[in-house]
Amino acid sequence: MARGRPYRQLSHTADLAWRIRGASLPELFENAGGALTATLTDRRYLRRTQVRDLYVKAPDREALLVDWLNRLLYLFDVEGFLGREFQVLALTPQSLKARVRGEIFDPARHPEKTGVKAATYHHLEIKRTHRGWQATVILDL
Amino acid sequence: MIKLRQIDEYRWEIPREGKMRTRGLVFASQAMLAKIQEDQSLQQVANVATLPGIEGPSLAMPDIHWGYGFPIGGVAAFNLEEGVVSPGGVGYDINCGVRLLRTNLPREEVAPRVEDLVSAFFSNIPSGVGSRRKDLKLNMLTLKEVMRYGAGWAVKNGYGSQADLEHIEAGGQIPGADPEMVSQFAMDRGKDQLGTLGSGNHFVEVGYVLEVYDEKLAAALGLFKGQTTVIVHTGSRGLGHQVCDDYIKVMLKAAAKYGIELPDRQLCCAPLGSPEGRQYLAAMAAAANFAFANRQMITHWVRESFEQVFRMGPAKLGLELVYDVAHNIAKIEEHEVNGKRKKVCVHRKGATRAFPPRHPETPAAYQETGQPVLIPGDMGRYSFVLVGTQEALTETFGSTCHGAGREMSRHAALKAAKGRSIVRELAAKGIIVRGAGRATIDEEISEAYKDVEQVVDVTHGAGISKKVAKLKPLGVIKG
Repeated sequence: MARGRPYRQLSHTADLAWRIRGASLPELFENAGGALTATLTDRRYLRRTQVRDLYVKAPDREALLVDWLNRLLYLFDVEGFLGREFQVLALTPQSLKARVRGEIFDPARHPEKTGVKAATYHHLEIKRTHRGWQATVILDL
Repeated sequence: MIKLRQIDEYRWEIPREGKMRTRGLVFASQAMLAKIQEDQSLQQVANVATLPGIEGPSLAMPDIHWGYGFPIGGVAAFNLEEGVVSPGGVGYDINCGVRLLRTNLPREEVAPRVEDLVSAFFSNIPSGVGSRRKDLKLNMLTLKEVMRYGAGWAVKNGYGSQADLEHIEAGGQIPGADPEMVSQFAMDRGKDQLGTLGSGNHFVEVGYVLEVYDEKLAAALGLFKGQTTVIVHTGSRGLGHQVCDDYIKVMLKAAAKYGIELPDRQLCCAPLGSPEGRQYLAAMAAAANFAFANRQMITHWVRESFEQVFRMGPAKLGLELVYDVAHNIAKIEEHEVNGKRKKVCVHRKGATRAFPPRHPETPAAYQETGQPVLIPGDMGRYSFVLVGTQEALTETFGSTCHGAGREMSRHAALKAAKGRSIVRELAAKGIIVRGAGRATIDEEISEAYKDVEQVVDVTHGAGISKKVAKLKPLGVIKG
């Protein structure tokens, strides 16, 4: 594994587990957005032609991560919008403001990978490491 | 490691210990057990046994694997007085399920046209990542009707016939659905997704009856050797996923509010009689009805695809519904518990209802045979048709297994498929596969799954369902 890779898959039989890293908490949330997009398609084919501003609230930091990912899934289901670049504008343990740049998914230009039903609370974890922050989140596919 | 005591060839008990209110009962063969013990699913069976109001044992079917809170392949019943309902006991894909159609066509007539048929499915049924229908956008009012009336809504709007409804679990409509309990988020996600397959392990498959185990039962189900069949496997799409996600949040709070002690947060639940519990059941029923309507509409396009390819009318094709079963659901049912009849809420998460002959909820057409049970396998092997039994009713709240279950992670499957053309390999075996993306096909390779025959043989051997026929795929569209 390359040092500092923003996200990598962990072995999980039924579904998909991501180990996400970030130098800071905002970066951790940004990278989590990237991991979700990378599950659905190849990020490199996405252009940054559209912008969505999101505001998510949750009871704690871990739940906030799940809600953030599920909000991105909602955007994808409803509009077909997929983020290429994620920018956290404000982050508290209970709320997140973010700007997402990306475009509407087009099967003709964007390779299809795996559909995601939801980000789950299963083995959900956010913790500090000596290099910053690390999260584990399992996606139900 | 969790304690296990062998009862007989197919039954294993997790003895009641610590905070467990009842024992666990696992259906598996010795050979399967080693694999089952690799993950924490048996611990999850024990965890479910700690929940208030549980009746009978905490059950696990032979396709058990690690789920969220509840194991997949888990069955648990709770009384209405002290018992609970949990979204984790149903899963994200509410009323994910399977339906089987039969035809009048022998395999020989269909086999040469499978490629055309699969292409027709592919263009008529949106599938894959982010699949949506461009021709069918529902407004909120119509969407609420779909959630109230389920498959009945689809039939009323020209997608299928009354006879279809008589061959669906619960008639294709779970009572008590209340769309007002479904969030706007959930409805937004569902409105363009009715009549779409989705992704992952969902599929539409044309195949044929490879083997008949019980001639009499098969004939009563309208099945014969060499006959062409169709299987549809999908669920409630984004609408159901959002309902689950919404109510997990509600239940995390509710569990604390009602002082329910949880060994795992994912078991979050609320008393069945509480406002939160009732609201979830009403929303879950709404999502379940959406799923029934979804499979009903896909069936309509399956029929249209056959008509296009074979230039035959419906009577000649004989594409009739054998049955449609849910395998992710919680239902209020009447069961005999310790010699007394009582209403319980049965959670089936990756488990199929398997009611016996002469049960009032077994449809009229199957009063003599027992309710058909449909167990899909992976795309390269086979699927099974079984019927429910009296043993299932007395022992497992009328439940059995639901499928093969993965053996390999998707990542490992992709690795195993690297450098191979899975599509060509399957074509060499006489199976035409089309998927929206290469990844979904590679992830779903046969060897990534357990052999469904082993799973089915345990349920047959244990007597909780009875084998009727084995089906083999000819052509598959994957989501």
